[in-house]
Order: sequence, then C-alpha cells, then structure tokens
Amino acid sequence: MDLLPTSEQDEIVSTVRAVLADRHQLGEPLGDELWSAAAEQGWFLIGLPESAGGVGYSIIEESLVMRELGTACAPGPFLATVLAAHVAALAGNAELTAAIGAGSHRVALAERLDPERFAVQDLPGASLVLVVDEAGIRVVDAAHVSASAVDSIDELVPVAYTDGAITGEPLAALSGDDAIDVLLDGALLVAAGLAGLAEATVTQSVAYGKDREQFGQPIGAFQAVKHRCADMATRAEIASCQVAYAAITRRDRRDDAAFHVDAARIVATRAAIDNSQINVQNHGGIGFTWEHTAHRFVTRARVWSLRLGSSASHQSSLLARSAAD
Amino acid sequence: MNLDFTPDEDAFREEARTWLAEHLPAGPRPPEGDEMRAFDLAWQRTLYDGGWAGINWPVEFGGRGLTDIQQMIWYEEFARAEPPFTLNNSCTFVGNNHGGPTLIVSGSDEQKAFHLPKILRGDVVWCQGFSEPGAGSDLASLSCRAEIDGDELVVNGQKIWTSYAHVADFQELLVRTDPSAPKHKGISWVICDMRTPGIEIREITTMSHVNDFCEVFYDDVRIPLTNVVGQINDGWRTAMSTLSFERGTAFMADQVELAAVVERLIDEARTRTGPDGRRAAIADDEIARRLATARAEVTALRAMTIAGISRVLRTGVPGPEGSMVRLFHGELHQRVYQLALDIIGADALRLTSIDGHGNWTGPYLQSFAYTIGGGTTDIQRNIVGERVLGLPRV
Ligand SMILES: Cc1cc2nc3c(=O)[nH]c(=O)nc-3n(C[C@H](O)[C@H](O)[C@H](O)COP(=O)(O)OP(=O)(O)OC[C@H]3O[C@@H](n4cnc5c(N)ncnc54)[C@H](O)[C@@H]3O)c2cc1C
Repeated sequence: MDLLPTSEQDEIVSTVRAVLADRHQLGEPLGDELWSAAAEQGWFLIGLPESAGGVGYSIIEESLVMRELGTACAPGPFLATVLAAHVAALAGNAELTAAIGAGSHRVALAERLDPERFAVQDLPGASLVLVVDEAGIRVVDAAHVSASAVDSIDELVPVAYTDGAITGEPLAALSGDDAIDVLLDGALLVAAGLAGLAEATVTQSVAYGKDREQFGQPIGAFQAVKHRCADMATRAEIASCQVAYAAITRRDRRDDAAFHVDAARIVATRAAIDNSQINVQNHGGIGFTWEHTAHRFVTRARVWSLRLGSSASHQSSLLARSAAD
Repeated sequence: MNLDFTPDEDAFREEARTWLAEHLPAGPRPPEGDEMRAFDLAWQRTLYDGGWAGINWPVEFGGRGLTDIQQMIWYEEFARAEPPFTLNNSCTFVGNNHGGPTLIVSGSDEQKAFHLPKILRGDVVWCQGFSEPGAGSDLASLSCRAEIDGDELVVNGQKIWTSYAHVADFQELLVRTDPSAPKHKGISWVICDMRTPGIEIREITTMSHVNDFCEVFYDDVRIPLTNVVGQINDGWRTAMSTLSFERGTAFMADQVELAAVVERLIDEARTRTGPDGRRAAIADDEIARRLATARAEVTALRAMTIAGISRVLRTGVPGPEGSMVRLFHGELHQRVYQLALDIIGADALRLTSIDGHGNWTGPYLQSFAYTIGGGTTDIQRNIVGERVLGLPRV
C-alpha cells in the first residue's frame, strides 16, 4: 500500500511541468507549439497500452498529466482528445488512434445541453468532436457538427450550442460497458484537472500572502488570510489524495473504482471551485481585474466542473452505490 | 502507487477479524467512574493477552513492531466489528497514543522499563496535564510551578480540562521549572503519580453529560527528579513530540471509525421517514446531497490517512500534512453528527450516551470536542499556514 508517486511518475510530472512552463503562458490561448510538444511527449496516448498503439503507461500517469494541465490552467481540448484516443483504441480504429496521438486532431467535446441540443466546447479549430449522450460515446468528424458560438464564461474555452441532434456516421463509437469504462476514466481525469486547479490557487494565494504588505506586514501574517490559505491547502490535499486513490482503483480495475471516482469528483470540484473563488478575495482589488489571472481559475474551475457530468450527478450516483470495500 | 495489501497484511486482517468476533466485550460501556475504568482496562488487558496491544510499538518495548498500515487495518476491523464503544473515548487513550509513545522516544531506560509494560497490560490509566486556566492555546505560557528541592520537584499550581484525571494513575505533567527563562525554555515534562499527597481532583461535567473532565490542584506535590522525561527545562521539546503523536496518528482510530458511522447513517436515512413525512429521508434532496458529500469526504479522509502513512513509511517522519488531516477530520466529524440529527427527526429530542450503536445525540454533543481538544481548529490552521505553507507570523 503506497499512495505516493514513484520516482518515475515524479519524473513524468516534472517533464510535463517543464514543457508547460516553456510553452504556455497563463491567460494565453493554446499555442501550436504546446500542442505539438504534447504530441511529441506522448500525452495523448500516455495511458493506452502499447498493444493499442499507446505509450504503455496507465490511467495514473494520464491523470498526472491532466492534473498538471489543470495546475497550469492550460486551455485547449486536451481532455476530449485523450478520451477520443481511448474511444478509437477500444473501438479498434488503430489508424485514428495513431492520428490523434500524433496531434493531427483537436477534438471538441459535445455534451447534452438539454434533450434537443448539445453544448460543444473547443469547437473552433477542432477537426473531430467527441459526442457523449445516452447512446454512449463516439467520435465524429467536426464537419457533421453545426453549432452557433455563444459567449463563454471562460474566454479561453469557446462554447457553442447545436440546433439539434448530432448525426453523421461516427469514426469510432462505444456503447454499454465500454462507454461506461471510458466515461469513468474521463470523470477521473476531470477530477485530476480540478485538483490541479485547486493546487494552483493555493500557490498563487500563498505567494501573494507573503509578498503584499499592509499595516506594515505581509497580509499572510493576518489570520483571516492565513486561515483561508490553510483551508485552501487542506481542500487541495484532500482532492489530490482521493484522485490518486481513485486512479489506482481504475488502473487495477477494482470493483469499487466507480465509487472512488465519484468521491474524487465531488471533493475535487469543491476544492477547485471554493479555492478559485477565495483566491480572488485574497488578492483584493487587483484580484477583481481582468488583467490579473485570478479570474482564470474561477471560470476554468466552472468549465471543468461541468465536463462529463457534474458534482451533483456524481453525488446521486455515489449515494446509490453500495459501500466501498 | 498501489493499494495492495501484502499477504502478511491480509493475514493480519483475517486474524484480527476472527479474534475480534470472539473477544469484543458486550456493551454498554459504563459511562463513568471506577466501572468505566475497569471496563476500559479489562479491554486493554484482553488486547494484551491476545497480542493486540501496541501494534505499532517497537518489539523491544513490548509492542508488535508492525507498521501503521497494520495499525490502520486493526482500526478498520475494530470499526467493522460494531463495537459498543469508541476507542477515542477510552481512558486508555493517553497512555496508548501519546504517553507511551513519548516515553519510547524521550524516556530514560528506567522510565520505559517501569511504565511501558503497565500501559500495554492495562494496569494503569494515564492522563495529560498540559492545559491550565491561563494557558490553553498558548500552552507555553503555563504557570504551574515546580521548584527543585534536593532530588525532588515540589509542584504548586493548577491544571484544567484533564480528561480522566479522577481515574488516572499517572500524568504527563508540564511544569515551569525556570520562571526567569523565556517562556518556551523553562518548562519540564514530568511523570506525576496521581496518588501523591497534595493532589486534589475535582470533576467537571461536560456538555455531553459526562464527568471525565477534571481540574487538578497541586499543593506542595513532591515528585522525584528521576521522573523528568528528557532534560529539565527542556520539556517543551518533549511536549512537542507528545503533541506530534496526539496530532499525528492518535486519531487514526477515529478517522477510520467515521467512515463506518457514515455508512450507518446512510442506512438510517434509507429506513427512516424523511422531512416530508411520507418518503424515506434519503429521498429528500438536501439530505441526499449532504450524505453523498459526507460519503465522499470520509472516503477522501481515508485516502489522506493512507497518504500520510505512505509518507511515514518512505521518509520515517510524518509530514506536516498531518495537521491538515486533523483539521479536516475534526470539522467533518462534526458535520456528520449535525447531519445525523437532521436525519433522525424527532428522535433528536432523546439524549443518548456518547457512544454505542444507534446513538446519535450523545455523539453529536460530544462532537464539539473535536475542534477544541488537542489544539483548536484555529490553532491547526495557524500550523498549516505557518509550517506547511510558510506564511509569516504576526
Ligand atoms: C474534550 C476535551 C478534552 C481535553 N482533554 C485535555 C487533557 O486531557 N489534557 C489537557 O491538558 N487539555 C485537555 N483539553 C484542553 C484543550 O487542549 C484546550 O481546551 C485547547 O487547547 C484550547 O485551550 P482553551 O480551552 O484555553 O481555549 P483558548 O485558548 O482560550 O481559546 C478560546 C478561543 O480562542 C481561539 N484562539 C486562541 N488563541 C488563538 C490564536 N492564536 N489564533 C486564533 N484563535 C485563537 C481558540 O481557537 C478558541 O476558539 C481538552 C479539551 C477538550 C475539549
């Protein structure tokens, strides 16, 4: 029993961090350089077995990458692209898997907005769309998807609504247990992204708490601020630990994996949303400006929290399950 | 990263489960006084005879020398066995969880040889004499005095909130031995025999209706200098190791138990009528959400506990993250019992004892202790802010 990352996993994390530090600027849109670096580094296929054309690691390493993308608050369709690779691989479409892995496709994410329409994230620039609905999960050509852009709460995650259903022959499709499996991995990756966001806001608040002075001392010395930071750090730690635990249950295909993914999703959503909101407060007036990056975490946390379900939907499913082992 | 138990750990769990099924005492645990003491010590003796005392204590001091993983497995099995009492409420808590461990780390050979076997065998009860009327959160401002007279210390002053002092044999006593030194420098940690002349104990009734809280008065109480643990005037260091146990692993049993409590509460919500008077409580949206959140949180608490154990196994020391666990657990424990009272409806009018199956109001009242005892949540937040995050002090 060991919940801490191995040294190899630590190395993966520092490599991902270095790439992101080099090719991504908080508050800037996704650049081509980052996308091609991600493909070169194997981020899109990291969790797939070699037999399926993947890098040969597991959902654990995949979730570590997603967590770092959350920590960096990196925009771009990473989640849907990684999941599209899962769908393609499981559906036996090796060619598509390889193309996604090579970074040739940016994959938008389409989920039900209401019984008639879909909300699509990251459609501009996407060549494929990952569609999630009652039938399962499928990858379609973006040409099949016509949707009108709406203003997005998060400037860097474009949102569009379709007029009706998404039709057209899928390039790869899963239903039943296979779809459930991929969606479970997806929910875990969302929790990982949220945990990363939660952690990033702790870093930002703590740095400001040490730097900004009022009444002749750093504001982090005041308990009102210090205690908010302590709570943020605790929530981030809670989320990280449960995400790690849930990732292991998925890798090992344990019976209680769905239970643990639900739990991870609930605590990580709470951590990301609460922390990102309080982070604004900790910054005072500057935190309320467009120029400052604090609002990026607020809106990104909202966006992540609504990908592949919501905290509320995971609450319903968690309560319906029998107790974990 | 793995969640696998070794074959030894699996065997340990199996062994614990079988043994517990045969040896768990019938309840209820007597709520107070000598009967309570006798019940708790009898259980400790049963543990000792069965080889379950000091699971994570070193073998040379009579323990089994196993890891915190086995300790956690034991607590999980204990909770699963539906015991009629809570380990955290036992008067053996101090000896097992921080008195004994402090002696193992800082005690002299004689102190260890004399006290540790007694603690493990269930011969003695220990209590903790740290807090004073004027020194709670600001523990280092304590003023209970001790002067050296020959080879003895002469203690005068007062302690308060001393759980189980009235049934205790020994005490972790913090005294000021050098009033002229800066406040952290003049303190000593001594073992006080509670039967020494000059000690007067008064019970204090708590809001949960138990009388295990005490005030202790010291009037020329003579304690041999050989009872000082660590060096004289260096007691703050010893006290910090005591608190590191108290804030570290001591509450593991409670953390593990809380998961079982939430499962029981979910069962209650399935069978009890909810706020609308027609459907089950669990059909109520708000109750369902709070229950689901509680279930997610106790699950994450377990992951956090395991992460803490992993850190100890890798590095030998518990990380400062331990204070986050205490903070999270204390407040979560309260939320769970607050939710329980909202679920049981009019049954919340009936007072129950603080532990035992199917009891909710007593544990609810007792839950207020979880954000005060062992350092308030405000103090835990200071510790996280300053020692984990490196934020400045005022
Ligand atoms: C069930 C229970 C069992 C206990 N058992 C024992 C025992 O066996 N032995 C023992 O020695 N003690 C025991 N205690 C005492 C416990 O350690 C103290 O109550 C605790 O440390 C708080 O001290 P205080 O009561 O003096 O409160 P105070 O320190 O006076 O605190 C009052 C309020 O002020 C806040 N506060 C104080 N200082 C600060 C600060 N710097 N920043 C922010 N807020 C602050 C506190 O958080 C609290 O809300 C027990 C307490 C309880 C509830």
